[in-house]
Amino acid sequence: MELDVEFVGVTKSFGDFVAVDNISFSVAKGSFFSLLGPSGCGKSTTLRMTSGFEHPDSGQLRIAGQEMAGVAPYRRPTNMVFQRWALFPHMTAAENVAFGLEVERTPRREMRERVAQALALVGLSEFSHRKPGQLSGGQMQRVALARALVKRPKVLLLDEPLGALDLKLRTQMQLELKRIQREVGTTFIYVTHDQGEAMTMSDHIAVMNKGRIEQIDTPQTIYDRPATRFVAGFIGNANIAPLEIESVAGREAKVRSGGLSFVISDVDGATPGKGHMALRYERIRLGAAAAQAPLRFKADVRDVIFAGSVVQYVLALADGPLELLAEQSHEGGGALLSRGDRVDVGWEPNAPRLFAGG
Amino acid sequence: MTYAFAAPLITFFEYSFYRFRRGRLEQVFTLDTYSRFLFDSYYHVVIYDTLRMATIVTLLSLAIGYPLAYALYRINRPAIQRWLALLIFSPILVSVVVRSYGWIVLLSDQGPVNWLLLRFGVLAEPATLVFNLFGVVISLTHVFLPFVVFPIFSSLTRLDPALKEAAEDLGANWWTTFRRVTFPLSLPGVVAGAQIAFTLALGAFVTPAMLGGGRVLVLPLQVYNATTDINWPVAAVGGMALLVISMVAVAAFNRLLKYSEAR
Ligand SMILES: Nc1ncnc2c1ncn2[C@@H]1O[C@H](COP(=O)(O)OP(=O)(O)OP(=O)(O)O)[C@@H](O)[C@H]1O
Ligand SMILES: [Mg+2]
Repeated sequence: MELDVEFVGVTKSFGDFVAVDNISFSVAKGSFFSLLGPSGCGKSTTLRMTSGFEHPDSGQLRIAGQEMAGVAPYRRPTNMVFQRWALFPHMTAAENVAFGLEVERTPRREMRERVAQALALVGLSEFSHRKPGQLSGGQMQRVALARALVKRPKVLLLDEPLGALDLKLRTQMQLELKRIQREVGTTFIYVTHDQGEAMTMSDHIAVMNKGRIEQIDTPQTIYDRPATRFVAGFIGNANIAPLEIESVAGREAKVRSGGLSFVISDVDGATPGKGHMALRYERIRLGAAAAQAPLRFKADVRDVIFAGSVVQYVLALADGPLELLAEQSHEGGGALLSRGDRVDVGWEPNAPRLFAGG
Repeated sequence: MTYAFAAPLITFFEYSFYRFRRGRLEQVFTLDTYSRFLFDSYYHVVIYDTLRMATIVTLLSLAIGYPLAYALYRINRPAIQRWLALLIFSPILVSVVVRSYGWIVLLSDQGPVNWLLLRFGVLAEPATLVFNLFGVVISLTHVFLPFVVFPIFSSLTRLDPALKEAAEDLGANWWTTFRRVTFPLSLPGVVAGAQIAFTLALGAFVTPAMLGGGRVLVLPLQVYNATTDINWPVAAVGGMALLVISMVAVAAFNRLLKYSEAR
């Protein structure tokens, strides 16, 4: 596998503040790689080190096998789509796209062809003579994308490019970005704090928190088998509850929470003592479906939240201090549970993820 | 306010139609003074000299002011930035008369500037740096610098810093980034600064009077001389001409401003 970007133990501080703390990752050529994390976790800083606007304090950074220390941004085989697009306001869409080629002194003919191609790729051919002020947010976003892609970079860097768009347009642009990435085959590094966005588009996701990488995996693995409590809580909806780990045998652990005692399977590296489990809302079964679950409990419905396609129940388990949120898809019709009902709840032993430590 | 502004203007306007003959003002309606102004080559020279001086001063102010504004913008040490801003602002704080005497001393044949030029062998004998157009231009540029620097500085600070990064990311070096992005986007500040410098230079009176040595006969001086001769019609027509030239200049600059802001 050919690697386009490699970070090896990279650290970056601003004054005393460590913005990026000893991170290592590599991105395969032609893949869609996302840096996902909450605001201020160091995603942009990581991206800006890749493009050359910030310099690592220590560690190595290679792009297409080349060490990047001391290489100026305008000499790197990367191009960036900025958070607020940073289009040149005094140039038309076509001039914006042509800028990077003019700087390279591309022959006129070739330049005209490539600009037209890039604008067609993002579906903006008719708007080539408009200035950014006369374009909508979605259109400006496309110009920014075309302007970066026309340079045929080895790696395209995108810093929350959809952050300023409304929800509908975002979803549409996500699909489009994925299509464009497949079409041009360029390596994309995509920064976002929106887990849904990262999930839908990425081949691999690095989840960051406080300057560190918590997990790098495929979207599905990150969702199904989060490596840390932070990842479990940050991605998707999970009940995170403290409990006692009583014993561990192989990949099975016996845990206890108040008067409740049960088994969790598929455990990775837990030791007896304090711990937490993360149990996704949709992995909890209710009523008749719970009857066949290996682990069964009784619970009282404390609250019902109707959200259209899904219904959420706040459940208090009868024999312990656990309060859980469960989610059921709503297919229309059918009676919902109501507040005060007593129901059976259950889950598979491998549904919760167990994390050791207080 | 309107009255205070309009009344002298109207009076002046009225006087511009009177006649001045043998040291006396004759209150008869005539366009004589206007036609003299328009067709007499003496006045053409005066107007030409006025415009030329204002243009030179404006260009020189921009040539010195733009780099200063850019430096002020790029310095990221707030303490130094404040001091430089104060330094650039300082000419305004000094009275015209004091400033003019200062320049007379500096630029005179035995002054420090000539002394340095002679000392380092740049010149063989003292150059005439004052009591001519050169002295006037230097002194006016000095005062107008803040009026040019601050509009440019403010339009530079309004630039999105990401634009420079975007240019650099697309392969542009410092100079290309400046030429293609920073400079075009700072043009509104340049035009605003030029407008102020040009119109102030048109109306400058004390500096040409003190540093021109009688060789820089600009319109305001001409108007002043006419009033000392109590030749009110000539003074009035000169004043009107100045007003019209200023208004044309302001209108032209406004057009330019709109054009430079067009996106
Ligand atoms: N130039 C700088 N000087 C000082 N601190 C900085 C600088 N740039 C970033 N930081 C700090 O580093 C941390 C990480 O910043 P970064 O921009 O990488 O966050 P982010 O993950 O992109 O967040 P967001 O999602 O809000 O954009 C933040 O706490 C920020 O305040
Ligand atoms: Mg950011």
